[in-house]
Amino acid sequence: MSGSNSVPVTEQGMKIVGFLCNWCSYGGADTAGVCRFKQPTDLRIIRIPCTGRMDPLFAAKSLIYGADGVLVSGCHPRDCHYAVGNLYARRRLEVLKHFLPFMGIDPRRFHYTWVSASEGQLWQRVVTDFSEQIHQLGPNPGIGAESEIFEKLGN
Amino acid sequence: MFENATKQLRETVEAALPELNTVVGWRAGYDPLHMTPVFIKNAGDLSKLEWSPFCVQNLSGYLVKDPAVRAQDPSKKIGICVKGCDSRSLVALIQEKFIERNQIHVFGIPCRGTVDWRRVMKLGPLTGIQSARVEESRLVVEDANGGHTFALEDVLARKCLRCAHPNPVIHDVLIGEPVTPRVAVENSYGEVERMEEQSLEDRLGFWKKELDKCLRCYACRNACPLCVCQDRCIAETREPRWLTQRVGTSEKFLFHFIHALHLAGRCTECGECERACPMEIPVTLIKEKLNKITLELMSYEAGMDPEAVPPLLTFNPGETGL
Amino acid sequence: MSGKAFIPRDSLGAALDRLSKKIEVWVPAMSEEGRWGVEFLPYRPGMRPVLDRQSTLSPKRVVFPQMETLLRFEYIKDPDDPAKVKFRLDDGQEVKPQFVFGARPCDVRGFFTFDRVFTEGPFVDGYYRNRRASTLFATLVCGEGDAACFCSSVGSGPADQAGSDLWVTPVDGGYVVEALSERGREYVALLGDAPSELQEAAARKVQEEAAQQQVGDPDLVKSAPSFRGRFEDLDYWRSMVSQCLGCGVCTYVCPTCYCFTITDEGKDLKGERLRSWDSCMFAQYTSEASGHNPRPTKLERYRNRVGHKFSYFPEKYDGMIACCGCGRCIRSCPVSIDIRKVVQELKEKANACA
Repeated sequence: MSGSNSVPVTEQGMKIVGFLCNWCSYGGADTAGVCRFKQPTDLRIIRIPCTGRMDPLFAAKSLIYGADGVLVSGCHPRDCHYAVGNLYARRRLEVLKHFLPFMGIDPRRFHYTWVSASEGQLWQRVVTDFSEQIHQLGPNPGIGAESEIFEKLGN
Repeated sequence: MFENATKQLRETVEAALPELNTVVGWRAGYDPLHMTPVFIKNAGDLSKLEWSPFCVQNLSGYLVKDPAVRAQDPSKKIGICVKGCDSRSLVALIQEKFIERNQIHVFGIPCRGTVDWRRVMKLGPLTGIQSARVEESRLVVEDANGGHTFALEDVLARKCLRCAHPNPVIHDVLIGEPVTPRVAVENSYGEVERMEEQSLEDRLGFWKKELDKCLRCYACRNACPLCVCQDRCIAETREPRWLTQRVGTSEKFLFHFIHALHLAGRCTECGECERACPMEIPVTLIKEKLNKITLELMSYEAGMDPEAVPPLLTFNPGETGL
Repeated sequence: MSGKAFIPRDSLGAALDRLSKKIEVWVPAMSEEGRWGVEFLPYRPGMRPVLDRQSTLSPKRVVFPQMETLLRFEYIKDPDDPAKVKFRLDDGQEVKPQFVFGARPCDVRGFFTFDRVFTEGPFVDGYYRNRRASTLFATLVCGEGDAACFCSSVGSGPADQAGSDLWVTPVDGGYVVEALSERGREYVALLGDAPSELQEAAARKVQEEAAQQQVGDPDLVKSAPSFRGRFEDLDYWRSMVSQCLGCGVCTYVCPTCYCFTITDEGKDLKGERLRSWDSCMFAQYTSEASGHNPRPTKLERYRNRVGHKFSYFPEKYDGMIACCGCGRCIRSCPVSIDIRKVVQELKEKANACA
């Protein structure tokens, strides 16, 4: 991503990292795909076994190093494959959401939600809304020089 | 003013000593503004024990960090001297089952605040310090050029100026009379609130400027009584590899995120991280924000009730609004 | 050229402005206005050097940065033949001449420890040698010792000139600067006009007074040879350093601690090899691939720190103590451990046992 200035910011591809629970949202995204719902292409999905595995630091690191957005999605509360993983996650992610702006990171770049495997349409809406929001915010400059180093090394 | 308290502390410890294996306390350090921890094993060492506003160190970490103070004789307990803030670290360690309440004997000391030597030196200039003592609301220091008097407010540690729990929350014996807290918990987050009033860009600028000074020496982590992973901290593991050896700001940000997020809902705001930082970065402020969040969202205050479970180690299935 | 200059106190900024046009200048400055901490920073016009107290961090980083790139590497794939990969390596080092203004005798002496290890063989560290050779020091005659200072104990002193290119003596109204080396002489005229006789006399008086000062116990190092006999006395080490937190601050602020680690950091086909400060107070420093750690707790690590500075190093390098007596480890220690006491009692207790 060389950041060519000829393309308007909103048209550029954005880097959104999606952490999706294997048992629901990952399936939900699959359902959306099978049903051929049109989805934005900015999302890079990382499958996690449960949102209970979602270390808030995964999101923090992504945003510090210049990911434009982080989306976490898991099973609806009380519907966790492992009974309670998402209930732990809910507290952790809510704390992170409140904490990010204190350190100067825009909390709108981080979103967590619940989508089940059958909710293909809901998934389409969630991912479309979030990526629209990220496009409005524009690229995330990240924190420091490293994000640039990684960019340079990556090219 | 503190001679009496020291005397009382020594007498109380002496009385309890036969039942104890070791007592962790403070003794005089390399100059009158500094104290250093001491491990009292027998009555002969008692004359070393001191209590004064220079007893800044939180001693509770010694009970859990290797090589931890352990009772050679299992029938005996470990004695430990604590201020209000230190006692909350003890509570947190009991909650997380690192120590058992019935294995420690707590000498609780109500505290009117501890002196931050850097603030004294900044107001100085002092050369050849001969003595230092706190009288009521003043600090009196004698150096090669004579006596200097400072208002206590100007030299207390930042954490002490916003202290809501000056009295030990657990203790087996209390040395001296309880003191009135400076502020209520709800009002103790003034500095966090002032940060919150700033714009997002200003906050980012503030932390970039502050954290850029970080050496990543990890003294903040190693001084923290609740950083119990010790030598297995993910900041240093090669697999998984969270941080590189680069010294850029984003690495420093991530390190402080690691430190702070692992303390969310656990930190008792004892301020050891900030005190240990050679660069004087206000790192406790980060944890204060997290504590304010858990207080507001989950009505939880860390290190108050040995029976309570820290909020991020549990959940409430019915809670909404999160 | 008289080789001497006088800088009036209020013209120090202007003098440094002139100097910094010729050469990169490092000065001790507050890392944050209104706080206590002082570190060596690249001088920029408008900056106020702090010369009335010792810096929190030593100028070690000027010659031996906390992180430096030893080499950059890149794999280049041949688009026509994917099996063929070319390797590109760049180990160039960019070294600029630099001037440290306002170091103290102990700060400069700290580099002597580095010199023995990095430049005097059998292996020479080119990265260090190049930067060391292009660095000049303007050293203050030190008048601000405190309870943690012990430079005289390790063979230095407040008026030690060793290793300095310019000698800066604070007098009433300003600073008298004298050249101590040919390289330093070139820069003297830049700093100010020749001092008056009165100013020179005042400077001589300050220097003489400083030279007479005895900072720290002169017998301290006599205890050092007792270290070997104490090595296995775990009770001793427990009694001296149980309060250690293993935080490692002592090694970061130390002017003589030179231990480092080397790591390759990269992404995809590009990367760099970094050298960065390490600390013997950390478990990972000695952690072996098998999982075994010969220094499992802070007791063994602290013992090694004392042993290295006062026993192993002098045994290897003709009696040279790897400590400059600046006292930073004592001042910055969150639990105020006093390395002097640990060294001193090596002998005292040994005597008591005998």
